Amino acid sequence: MSADKNILYPLTGLLSAIAILLSGLVFAKEPLCPALLAGFLLWLLLFGCYRACLRVLLPMLLVGGAFAGITYAASGDGQSALGMMNRTAAVFLAVIPGMSITPVQMTRCLSSLRAPRAVTLGMLIALSFVPLLTLEIRRVREAMVTRGAGSLLSPQILYRAFLIPLITRLVNISDTLSLSVETRGFTLDGKAYSIYHLQRFCLKDGLYILGILAGIAGMAVAVCTQ
Amino acid sequence: MENKNLTDTLLENTRQENAPVQGGTQKKRSVLGFQTKDVVFLAILSAVILVTSAFMPLLLHIPVFGIIQIGLGLQFSLFPAIGVAKVRKPGSLVFMSVCSGVVLLFMNTVMFFCLLVCALIAEVVALLIFRSYERDGACFLACAIYFPLSLPFLYAWYQIMGGTVLAYVNSIWWVTALMSLAVVALCCLGSYLGIRISRELKKSGVLKK
Repeated sequence: MSADKNILYPLTGLLSAIAILLSGLVFAKEPLCPALLAGFLLWLLLFGCYRACLRVLLPMLLVGGAFAGITYAASGDGQSALGMMNRTAAVFLAVIPGMSITPVQMTRCLSSLRAPRAVTLGMLIALSFVPLLTLEIRRVREAMVTRGAGSLLSPQILYRAFLIPLITRLVNISDTLSLSVETRGFTLDGKAYSIYHLQRFCLKDGLYILGILAGIAGMAVAVCTQ
Repeated sequence: MENKNLTDTLLENTRQENAPVQGGTQKKRSVLGFQTKDVVFLAILSAVILVTSAFMPLLLHIPVFGIIQIGLGLQFSLFPAIGVAKVRKPGSLVFMSVCSGVVLLFMNTVMFFCLLVCALIAEVVALLIFRSYERDGACFLACAIYFPLSLPFLYAWYQIMGGTVLAYVNSIWWVTALMSLAVVALCCLGSYLGIRISRELKKSGVLKK
Protein backbone atom coordinates (compact mmCIF):
# COMPACT_ATOMS: atom_id res chain seq x y z
CA MET A 1 0.00 0.00 0.00
CA SER A 2 1.01 3.58 -0.37
CA ALA A 3 2.05 5.78 2.47
CA ASP A 4 -1.39 7.40 2.59
CA LYS A 5 -4.28 5.53 4.13
CA ASN A 6 -7.14 4.23 1.99
CA ILE A 7 -5.22 4.50 -1.27
CA LEU A 8 -4.51 1.54 -3.48
CA TYR A 9 -1.09 0.68 -4.82
CA PRO A 10 -1.20 2.18 -8.36
CA LEU A 11 -0.34 -1.02 -10.23
CA THR A 12 -2.94 -2.97 -8.22
CA GLY A 13 -5.48 -0.35 -9.23
CA LEU A 14 -4.46 -0.72 -12.85
CA LEU A 15 -4.66 -4.51 -12.73
CA SER A 16 -8.08 -4.39 -11.09
CA ALA A 17 -9.34 -1.92 -13.71
CA ILE A 18 -8.31 -4.33 -16.47
CA ALA A 19 -9.92 -7.27 -14.64
CA ILE A 20 -13.19 -5.40 -14.02
CA LEU A 21 -13.42 -4.18 -17.60
CA LEU A 22 -12.67 -7.52 -19.24
CA SER A 23 -14.93 -9.53 -16.93
CA GLY A 24 -17.76 -7.02 -17.45
CA LEU A 25 -17.41 -7.33 -21.23
CA VAL A 26 -17.10 -11.13 -21.23
CA PHE A 27 -20.00 -11.82 -18.84
CA ALA A 28 -22.19 -8.90 -20.03
CA LYS A 29 -25.02 -11.12 -21.23
CA GLU A 30 -25.12 -13.38 -18.17
CA PRO A 31 -28.04 -12.84 -15.74
CA LEU A 32 -25.58 -12.89 -12.82
CA CYS A 33 -23.43 -10.08 -14.26
CA PRO A 34 -25.23 -7.23 -12.40
CA ALA A 35 -24.51 -9.08 -9.13
CA LEU A 36 -20.82 -9.35 -10.06
CA LEU A 37 -20.64 -5.65 -10.92
CA ALA A 38 -22.48 -4.72 -7.70
CA GLY A 39 -19.93 -6.85 -5.83
CA PHE A 40 -17.09 -4.94 -7.51
CA LEU A 41 -18.70 -1.64 -6.52
CA LEU A 42 -19.04 -2.78 -2.91
CA TRP A 43 -15.44 -4.02 -2.89
CA LEU A 44 -14.19 -0.68 -4.23
CA LEU A 45 -16.21 1.15 -1.59
CA LEU A 46 -14.72 -1.07 1.11
CA PHE A 47 -11.18 -0.35 -0.05
CA GLY A 48 -11.47 3.41 0.18
CA CYS A 49 -12.55 4.43 -3.32
CA TYR A 50 -15.86 5.80 -2.01
CA ARG A 51 -15.40 9.33 -3.42
CA ALA A 52 -14.76 8.04 -6.92
CA CYS A 53 -17.64 5.56 -6.53
CA LEU A 54 -20.04 8.36 -5.62
CA ARG A 55 -18.84 10.51 -8.50
CA VAL A 56 -19.23 7.70 -11.01
CA LEU A 57 -22.53 6.22 -9.82
CA LEU A 58 -24.93 8.81 -11.25
CA PRO A 59 -23.28 9.12 -14.72
CA MET A 60 -23.06 5.32 -14.85
CA LEU A 61 -26.79 4.93 -14.21
CA LEU A 62 -27.72 7.74 -16.60
CA VAL A 63 -25.49 6.73 -19.52
CA GLY A 64 -26.06 3.00 -18.98
CA GLY A 65 -29.82 3.51 -18.75
CA ALA A 66 -29.85 5.65 -21.88
CA PHE A 67 -27.86 3.11 -23.92
CA ALA A 68 -29.92 0.20 -22.57
CA GLY A 69 -33.09 2.10 -23.51
CA ILE A 70 -31.83 2.79 -27.03
CA THR A 71 -30.80 -0.86 -27.45
CA TYR A 72 -34.19 -2.06 -26.22
CA ALA A 73 -36.00 0.37 -28.53
CA ALA A 74 -33.89 -0.77 -31.49
CA SER A 75 -33.96 -4.53 -30.90
CA GLY A 76 -36.87 -5.13 -28.52
CA ASP A 77 -34.66 -7.66 -26.74
CA GLY A 78 -34.34 -7.32 -22.97
CA GLN A 79 -31.22 -9.51 -22.90
CA SER A 80 -29.38 -7.17 -25.29
CA ALA A 81 -30.47 -4.14 -23.25
CA LEU A 82 -29.15 -5.79 -20.07
CA GLY A 83 -25.91 -6.61 -21.85
CA MET A 84 -25.51 -2.99 -22.89
CA MET A 85 -26.20 -1.79 -19.35
CA ASN A 86 -23.61 -4.23 -17.99
CA ARG A 87 -20.95 -3.21 -20.51
CA THR A 88 -21.44 0.48 -19.75
CA ALA A 89 -21.37 -0.21 -16.00
CA ALA A 90 -18.13 -2.22 -16.43
CA VAL A 91 -16.45 0.70 -18.24
CA PHE A 92 -17.50 3.16 -15.53
CA LEU A 93 -16.47 0.79 -12.70
CA ALA A 94 -13.07 0.23 -14.32
CA VAL A 95 -12.47 3.97 -14.20
CA ILE A 96 -12.93 4.10 -10.38
CA PRO A 97 -9.48 2.69 -9.39
CA GLY A 98 -7.88 5.12 -11.87
CA MET A 99 -9.77 8.05 -10.36
CA SER A 100 -8.60 7.07 -6.88
CA ILE A 101 -4.93 7.17 -7.87
CA THR A 102 -3.37 10.60 -8.29
CA PRO A 103 -0.88 11.22 -11.13
CA VAL A 104 1.85 11.87 -8.56
CA GLN A 105 1.32 8.47 -6.93
CA MET A 106 1.40 6.76 -10.30
CA THR A 107 4.63 8.60 -11.18
CA ARG A 108 6.26 7.71 -7.86
CA CYS A 109 5.27 4.08 -8.31
CA LEU A 110 6.69 3.94 -11.85
CA SER A 111 9.84 5.77 -10.75
CA SER A 112 10.41 3.23 -7.99
CA LEU A 113 10.09 0.51 -10.64
CA ARG A 114 12.82 2.28 -12.65
CA ALA A 115 10.58 3.34 -15.53
CA PRO A 116 12.29 5.83 -17.90
CA ARG A 117 12.17 9.35 -16.50
CA ALA A 118 10.89 10.76 -19.78
CA VAL A 119 7.87 8.49 -19.56
CA THR A 120 7.09 9.28 -15.92
CA LEU A 121 7.50 13.02 -16.50
CA GLY A 122 5.33 12.83 -19.64
CA MET A 123 2.60 10.93 -17.81
CA LEU A 124 2.70 13.32 -14.89
CA ILE A 125 2.38 16.37 -17.13
CA ALA A 126 -0.29 14.80 -19.36
CA LEU A 127 -2.48 13.95 -16.36
CA SER A 128 -1.84 17.05 -14.24
CA PHE A 129 -2.15 19.49 -17.11
CA VAL A 130 -5.83 18.79 -17.81
CA PRO A 131 -7.34 21.39 -15.39
CA LEU A 132 -4.88 24.06 -16.57
CA LEU A 133 -5.71 23.25 -20.16
CA THR A 134 -9.46 23.64 -19.65
CA LEU A 135 -8.70 27.05 -18.12
CA GLU A 136 -6.60 28.01 -21.16
CA ILE A 137 -9.35 26.88 -23.53
CA ARG A 138 -11.84 29.03 -21.59
CA ARG A 139 -9.48 32.01 -21.82
CA VAL A 140 -9.12 31.66 -25.58
CA ARG A 141 -12.92 31.41 -25.89
CA GLU A 142 -13.31 34.54 -23.76
CA ALA A 143 -10.78 36.36 -25.94
CA MET A 144 -12.81 35.29 -28.98
CA VAL A 145 -15.98 36.69 -27.45
CA THR A 146 -14.23 39.95 -26.53
CA ARG A 147 -12.98 40.35 -30.10
CA GLY A 148 -16.37 39.39 -31.50
CA ALA A 149 -14.77 36.56 -33.49
CA GLY A 150 -18.03 34.68 -34.03
CA SER A 151 -19.06 31.06 -33.68
CA LEU A 152 -16.67 28.12 -33.29
CA LEU A 153 -18.81 26.16 -35.71
CA SER A 154 -17.28 28.07 -38.61
CA PRO A 155 -14.11 26.19 -39.69
CA GLN A 156 -12.23 29.40 -40.57
CA ILE A 157 -12.98 30.99 -37.20
CA LEU A 158 -12.12 27.75 -35.40
CA TYR A 159 -8.76 27.64 -37.17
CA ARG A 160 -7.76 31.31 -37.04
CA ALA A 161 -9.31 32.52 -33.81
CA PHE A 162 -9.21 29.37 -31.66
CA LEU A 163 -6.62 26.81 -32.74
CA ILE A 164 -3.74 29.17 -33.58
CA PRO A 165 -3.97 31.21 -30.31
CA LEU A 166 -4.41 28.01 -28.28
CA ILE A 167 -1.36 26.31 -29.78
CA THR A 168 0.68 29.51 -29.41
CA ARG A 169 -0.27 29.65 -25.74
CA LEU A 170 0.60 25.96 -25.31
CA VAL A 171 4.03 26.47 -26.87
CA ASN A 172 4.69 29.34 -24.45
CA ILE A 173 3.53 27.29 -21.47
CA SER A 174 5.66 24.37 -22.64
CA ASP A 175 8.79 26.57 -22.84
CA THR A 176 8.19 27.97 -19.36
CA LEU A 177 7.41 24.56 -17.88
CA SER A 178 10.49 22.89 -19.37
CA LEU A 179 12.69 25.69 -18.04
CA SER A 180 11.06 25.31 -14.65
CA VAL A 181 11.55 21.54 -14.68
CA GLU A 182 15.24 21.90 -15.60
CA THR A 183 15.75 24.60 -12.97
CA ARG A 184 14.45 22.19 -10.34
CA GLY A 185 17.21 19.78 -11.25
CA PHE A 186 15.28 17.38 -13.45
CA THR A 187 17.47 15.63 -16.01
CA LEU A 188 16.92 12.83 -18.50
CA ASP A 189 20.48 11.55 -18.44
CA GLY A 190 19.88 8.61 -16.09
CA LYS A 191 21.45 10.09 -12.97
CA ALA A 192 20.39 8.65 -9.62
CA TYR A 193 17.47 10.44 -7.97
CA SER A 194 15.48 10.15 -4.77
CA ILE A 195 11.78 9.27 -4.65
CA TYR A 196 9.61 11.04 -2.13
CA HIS A 197 6.88 8.91 -0.44
CA LEU A 198 7.62 5.47 -1.81
CA GLN A 199 4.57 3.50 -2.95
CA ARG A 200 4.69 -0.07 -1.65
CA PHE A 201 2.53 -3.10 -2.25
CA CYS A 202 1.06 -4.36 1.03
CA LEU A 203 -1.39 -6.87 2.47
CA LYS A 204 -4.41 -4.65 1.85
CA ASP A 205 -3.57 -4.42 -1.87
CA GLY A 206 -3.15 -8.19 -2.03
CA LEU A 207 -6.51 -8.72 -0.36
CA TYR A 208 -8.14 -6.23 -2.71
CA ILE A 209 -6.90 -7.83 -5.91
CA LEU A 210 -7.59 -11.33 -4.57
CA GLY A 211 -11.19 -10.33 -3.90
CA ILE A 212 -11.61 -9.03 -7.47
CA LEU A 213 -10.07 -12.19 -8.96
CA ALA A 214 -12.16 -14.42 -6.66
CA GLY A 215 -15.32 -12.65 -7.86
CA ILE A 216 -14.38 -13.26 -11.48
CA ALA A 217 -13.48 -16.90 -10.79
CA GLY A 218 -16.79 -17.42 -8.96
CA MET A 219 -18.68 -15.93 -11.88
CA ALA A 220 -16.84 -18.16 -14.34
CA VAL A 221 -17.69 -21.25 -12.26
CA ALA A 222 -21.34 -20.18 -12.00
CA VAL A 223 -21.56 -19.67 -15.78
CA CYS A 224 -19.89 -23.03 -16.51
CA THR A 225 -22.16 -24.96 -14.13
CA GLN A 226 -25.36 -23.36 -15.46
CA MET B 1 39.66 53.41 -21.63
CA GLU B 2 38.39 51.67 -18.53
CA ASN B 3 34.96 51.30 -20.13
CA LYS B 4 36.52 49.69 -23.20
CA ASN B 5 38.33 47.14 -21.05
CA LEU B 6 35.13 46.38 -19.23
CA THR B 7 33.26 45.86 -22.53
CA ASP B 8 36.01 43.59 -23.81
CA THR B 9 35.91 41.54 -20.64
CA LEU B 10 32.14 41.24 -20.86
CA LEU B 11 32.31 40.20 -24.50
CA GLU B 12 34.96 37.61 -23.71
CA ASN B 13 32.83 36.23 -20.89
CA THR B 14 29.82 35.98 -23.18
CA ARG B 15 31.91 34.16 -25.81
CA GLN B 16 33.09 31.69 -23.21
CA GLU B 17 29.57 31.15 -21.93
CA ASN B 18 28.23 30.50 -25.43
CA ALA B 19 31.18 28.43 -26.63
CA PRO B 20 30.22 24.79 -27.37
CA VAL B 21 31.44 22.61 -24.52
CA GLN B 22 32.56 19.11 -25.47
CA GLY B 23 29.83 16.72 -24.45
CA GLY B 24 27.77 19.66 -23.21
CA THR B 25 24.86 18.87 -25.49
CA GLN B 26 25.01 15.22 -24.49
CA LYS B 27 24.28 16.19 -20.90
CA LYS B 28 20.72 17.23 -21.65
CA ARG B 29 19.92 14.28 -23.90
CA SER B 30 18.35 11.00 -23.03
CA VAL B 31 17.36 7.87 -24.92
CA LEU B 32 16.46 8.62 -28.58
CA GLY B 33 17.82 12.15 -28.20
CA PHE B 34 14.80 13.65 -26.44
CA GLN B 35 15.41 16.76 -24.39
CA THR B 36 13.31 17.90 -21.45
CA LYS B 37 11.60 20.59 -23.56
CA ASP B 38 10.63 17.94 -26.15
CA VAL B 39 9.16 15.67 -23.49
CA VAL B 40 7.23 18.57 -21.93
CA PHE B 41 5.84 19.78 -25.26
CA LEU B 42 4.75 16.30 -26.36
CA ALA B 43 3.18 15.63 -22.95
CA ILE B 44 1.22 18.89 -23.10
CA LEU B 45 -0.10 18.02 -26.54
CA SER B 46 -1.05 14.58 -25.19
CA ALA B 47 -3.04 16.36 -22.46
CA VAL B 48 -4.81 18.34 -25.19
CA ILE B 49 -5.71 15.06 -26.89
CA LEU B 50 -7.00 13.73 -23.57
CA VAL B 51 -9.18 16.78 -22.92
CA THR B 52 -10.61 16.92 -26.43
CA SER B 53 -11.35 13.18 -26.36
CA ALA B 54 -13.25 13.32 -23.06
CA PHE B 55 -16.55 12.42 -24.74
CA MET B 56 -15.17 9.05 -25.89
CA PRO B 57 -17.09 6.93 -23.30
CA LEU B 58 -20.33 8.15 -24.87
CA LEU B 59 -19.30 6.73 -28.24
CA LEU B 60 -18.02 3.46 -26.83
CA HIS B 61 -21.30 1.57 -27.06
CA ILE B 62 -22.89 3.06 -30.15
CA PRO B 63 -23.25 -0.02 -32.38
CA VAL B 64 -21.63 1.45 -35.49
CA PHE B 65 -18.20 0.27 -36.62
CA GLY B 66 -15.58 3.05 -36.47
CA ILE B 67 -17.76 5.59 -34.65
CA ILE B 68 -15.02 6.09 -32.03
CA GLN B 69 -12.47 6.77 -34.76
CA ILE B 70 -14.83 9.29 -36.39
CA GLY B 71 -15.29 11.07 -33.08
CA LEU B 72 -11.60 11.13 -32.18
CA GLY B 73 -9.93 11.10 -35.61
CA LEU B 74 -9.36 14.84 -35.88
CA GLN B 75 -7.78 15.18 -32.43
CA PHE B 76 -5.63 12.07 -32.86
CA SER B 77 -4.15 13.37 -36.13
CA LEU B 78 -4.02 17.15 -35.70
CA PHE B 79 -2.21 17.37 -32.35
CA PRO B 80 0.26 14.53 -33.06
CA ALA B 81 1.07 16.28 -36.36
CA ILE B 82 1.93 19.48 -34.49
CA GLY B 83 3.99 17.50 -31.98
CA VAL B 84 5.93 15.54 -34.60
CA ALA B 85 6.42 18.70 -36.70
CA LYS B 86 8.14 20.37 -33.73
CA VAL B 87 9.97 17.37 -32.27
CA ARG B 88 11.20 15.72 -35.47
CA LYS B 89 12.70 12.69 -33.77
CA PRO B 90 11.87 9.00 -34.11
CA GLY B 91 9.73 7.98 -31.15
CA SER B 92 7.77 11.24 -30.87
CA LEU B 93 4.51 9.65 -31.99
CA VAL B 94 5.00 6.60 -29.77
CA PHE B 95 5.74 8.86 -26.82
CA MET B 96 2.55 10.86 -27.45
CA SER B 97 0.52 7.68 -27.74
CA VAL B 98 1.91 6.47 -24.38
CA CYS B 99 1.11 9.78 -22.65
CA SER B 100 -2.35 10.17 -24.17
CA GLY B 101 -3.13 6.52 -23.47
CA VAL B 102 -2.55 6.73 -19.72
CA VAL B 103 -6.24 7.33 -19.06
CA LEU B 104 -7.16 4.64 -21.59
CA LEU B 105 -5.19 2.17 -19.48
CA PHE B 106 -8.00 2.29 -16.91
CA MET B 107 -10.92 2.71 -19.33
CA ASN B 108 -10.03 0.54 -22.27
CA THR B 109 -6.70 -1.24 -21.86
CA VAL B 110 -7.01 -3.01 -25.20
CA MET B 111 -7.35 0.35 -26.95
CA PHE B 112 -4.20 1.61 -25.21
CA PHE B 113 -2.05 -1.26 -26.48
CA CYS B 114 -3.74 -1.06 -29.86
CA LEU B 115 -2.85 2.65 -30.18
CA LEU B 116 0.70 1.94 -29.04
CA VAL B 117 1.14 -0.69 -31.75
CA CYS B 118 -0.47 1.64 -34.32
CA ALA B 119 1.95 4.44 -33.39
CA LEU B 120 4.88 2.04 -33.75
CA ILE B 121 3.71 0.83 -37.16
CA ALA B 122 3.00 4.40 -38.35
CA GLU B 123 6.47 5.54 -37.31
CA VAL B 124 8.18 2.56 -38.91
CA VAL B 125 6.29 3.08 -42.20
CA ALA B 126 7.03 6.83 -42.28
CA LEU B 127 10.71 6.33 -41.40
CA LEU B 128 11.13 3.53 -43.93
CA ILE B 129 9.80 5.76 -46.70
CA PHE B 130 11.31 9.11 -45.69
CA ARG B 131 14.28 7.95 -43.53
CA SER B 132 13.67 10.79 -41.03
CA TYR B 133 11.08 13.35 -40.00
CA GLU B 134 12.98 16.20 -41.65
CA ARG B 135 10.40 16.49 -44.41
CA ASP B 136 6.82 17.53 -43.69
CA GLY B 137 5.64 14.58 -45.78
CA ALA B 138 6.98 12.15 -43.19
CA CYS B 139 5.12 13.92 -40.37
CA PHE B 140 1.96 14.01 -42.46
CA LEU B 141 2.15 10.32 -43.37
CA ALA B 142 2.87 9.11 -39.84
CA CYS B 143 0.02 11.10 -38.31
CA ALA B 144 -2.43 10.40 -41.13
CA ILE B 145 -2.09 6.61 -40.85
CA TYR B 146 -1.68 6.45 -37.07
CA PHE B 147 -5.35 6.41 -36.05
CA PRO B 148 -6.87 4.64 -39.10
CA LEU B 149 -4.50 1.74 -38.36
CA SER B 150 -6.59 1.02 -35.27
CA LEU B 151 -9.54 0.00 -37.50
CA PRO B 152 -8.24 -3.51 -38.31
CA PHE B 153 -7.45 -4.04 -34.62
CA LEU B 154 -10.96 -2.89 -33.72
CA TYR B 155 -12.42 -5.29 -36.28
CA ALA B 156 -10.41 -8.17 -34.80
CA TRP B 157 -11.50 -7.15 -31.30
CA TYR B 158 -15.18 -7.21 -32.30
CA GLN B 159 -14.67 -10.63 -33.89
CA ILE B 160 -13.32 -11.91 -30.58
CA MET B 161 -15.78 -10.17 -28.27
CA GLY B 162 -18.90 -10.50 -30.46
CA GLY B 163 -21.88 -8.38 -29.40
CA THR B 164 -24.15 -5.93 -31.16
CA VAL B 165 -21.44 -4.16 -33.14
CA LEU B 166 -20.28 -7.39 -34.75
CA ALA B 167 -23.82 -8.06 -35.95
CA TYR B 168 -23.87 -4.60 -37.56
CA VAL B 169 -20.40 -5.02 -39.06
CA ASN B 170 -21.29 -8.31 -40.66
CA SER B 171 -24.78 -7.39 -41.85
CA ILE B 172 -24.27 -3.85 -43.19
CA TRP B 173 -20.81 -4.13 -44.72
CA TRP B 174 -21.06 -0.94 -46.79
CA VAL B 175 -21.50 1.15 -43.64
CA THR B 176 -18.27 -0.38 -42.32
CA ALA B 177 -16.47 0.45 -45.59
CA LEU B 178 -17.90 3.97 -45.66
CA MET B 179 -16.95 4.64 -42.05
CA SER B 180 -13.41 3.37 -42.65
CA LEU B 181 -13.02 5.73 -45.63
CA ALA B 182 -14.41 8.61 -43.59
CA VAL B 183 -11.88 7.90 -40.81
CA VAL B 184 -8.99 7.93 -43.30
CA ALA B 185 -10.22 11.20 -44.85
CA LEU B 186 -10.69 12.82 -41.44
CA CYS B 187 -7.22 11.80 -40.27
CA CYS B 188 -5.62 13.09 -43.50
CA LEU B 189 -7.42 16.41 -42.97
CA GLY B 190 -6.32 16.57 -39.32
CA SER B 191 -2.73 15.76 -40.22
CA TYR B 192 -2.71 18.38 -42.99
CA LEU B 193 -4.12 21.00 -40.61
CA GLY B 194 -1.51 20.11 -37.99
CA ILE B 195 1.33 20.54 -40.47
CA ARG B 196 -0.20 23.80 -41.70
CA ILE B 197 -0.52 25.19 -38.19
CA SER B 198 3.06 24.22 -37.33
CA ARG B 199 4.33 25.86 -40.54
CA GLU B 200 2.44 29.01 -39.72
CA LEU B 201 3.76 29.06 -36.16
CA LYS B 202 7.32 28.44 -37.38
CA LYS B 203 6.99 31.30 -39.83
CA SER B 204 5.87 33.64 -37.06
CA GLY B 205 8.71 32.43 -34.83
CA VAL B 206 6.53 30.84 -32.14
CA LEU B 207 7.50 27.26 -32.86
CA LYS B 208 11.23 26.69 -32.76
CA LYS B 209 13.07 23.47 -33.40
